[in-house]
Amino acid sequence: MPGKTIVITSGKGGVGKTTTVANLGTALAMRGLSVVMIDADIGLRNLDVVMGLENRIVYNVVDVIEGRCRLEQAMIRDRKINSLYLIPAAQTRDKDSVMPEAMKRLCDQLAENFDYVLIDCPAGIEQGFRNAIAGAQKALIVTTPEVSAIRDADRVIGLLEANMLKDIHLIINRVNQKMIKRGDMMSTEDICSLLSIPLIGIIPESEEVVISTNRGVPLVHDRKSQVAAAFKRIAGRLEGENIPIPLDNHEGSLLSKVKKIFGAG
Amino acid sequence: MDNREPTAVAVQIRAQRDGQFVFVLDPSLPFQMILRYLEKRWEESNKFFRSAKIVIDLGLRPFRFDEILALRDLLKNKWHATITELRLGHRFDSFFEWASRQIGIPIHQIPIQEKEPEPVIIRQTCRSGTRVEAPQDCIVLGDVNPGAEVIAGRDIIVFGVLRGMAHAGAYGNTAAKIWALSIEPSQIRIADLVAIPPRQDKSSLQSKRYEVAEVRDGQIQVISF
Repeated sequence: MPGKTIVITSGKGGVGKTTTVANLGTALAMRGLSVVMIDADIGLRNLDVVMGLENRIVYNVVDVIEGRCRLEQAMIRDRKINSLYLIPAAQTRDKDSVMPEAMKRLCDQLAENFDYVLIDCPAGIEQGFRNAIAGAQKALIVTTPEVSAIRDADRVIGLLEANMLKDIHLIINRVNQKMIKRGDMMSTEDICSLLSIPLIGIIPESEEVVISTNRGVPLVHDRKSQVAAAFKRIAGRLEGENIPIPLDNHEGSLLSKVKKIFGAG
Repeated sequence: MDNREPTAVAVQIRAQRDGQFVFVLDPSLPFQMILRYLEKRWEESNKFFRSAKIVIDLGLRPFRFDEILALRDLLKNKWHATITELRLGHRFDSFFEWASRQIGIPIHQIPIQEKEPEPVIIRQTCRSGTRVEAPQDCIVLGDVNPGAEVIAGRDIIVFGVLRGMAHAGAYGNTAAKIWALSIEPSQIRIADLVAIPPRQDKSSLQSKRYEVAEVRDGQIQVISF
């Protein structure tokens, strides 16, 4: 059975797509699954930096598509996990040098040999976005609890649905429970009710993410990190495990709690 | 009988591309003046209209059978011209009156009813970036999210939360209304009025069944039920 091809997208930039791909890919591979990550952000590659694999790049995804190398030559094995691979983006080309059909062929080819193909989508909704979603069967939307990120996520969900990609799940990144308690941040429930797609995980805000990104080691390797645990739970849910998602209903009045119990909330 | 000299142009004459002439009769002048005007034109034009093919355009002039016959005979006998077509303007009542007298049965004209456009129904949430335009009513079975636009000629009905932009009565109908389970829009418009809702603090938590936005005293008001 061919593997799952999943595009990680958001619309807005800087919400944590690349971090999510790196950590989710690593978390899935740590479970013993074979995973390949494609950096579809051609011209602005950075998944290799987050994975700490920058100095191993010889060929990239455009080289594969244009036939200058074999697929295996562009696949970089992770430093720690043997079943995890990265296909880096080209830094010196632009997004128009790839067509959606070529990307789809590449994804189909990879899905034959891997359990998971994760595609790191560029920000925006232009050619790069169309390339990234062309080969995907499933999409994960990354958003942060900010109105601008949520609006872009909403737009992207609409575009995915228009492209007949209907298996869409939501990851809310950089959630600060203290701020939600104070009423200074949109609650995850508000976000879910607005975007109306199923939630697959909540990632807490943490300084550790910046540190691990700069070190080039995905945070999931850190056993004590809460962020790591959150990504591992998402990996489990992708694998079909039933892990409940803790929602943050702090300000809920007694009435709303009663409603919840009766399933009306 | 009116003996005024036709100073005004009682019949406007236009040439068509196919060589025919269109005679547009003045609706306000008596028929005798029209005939005299035509005789004058005949003499002045040096028999220019001899054997011409002529379209008679009555415009807003009521249809009178005897007038048409008189006109036909004049043009035929004196000008050797033929009337190829008779154009009735918007005054059909006199024509129907004559026709019903001819057949001895009253005729009632049934006005043509234009079929009303069906309401546009959107069976999903309108996400950011979508724009829905409906000629009449628009029904959304879902939410209207921020960044989405719904524009309707008449009412907008949202079976969900309205958070985006809604424009009801887009062609100027101030009686149009916007109905939604909850109205928390970025902006609502009815006809040419625009309302920006106040920055409210979680009023959506109040229990209400639905809300309606309508024009009252020249401005848009949202009423909760």
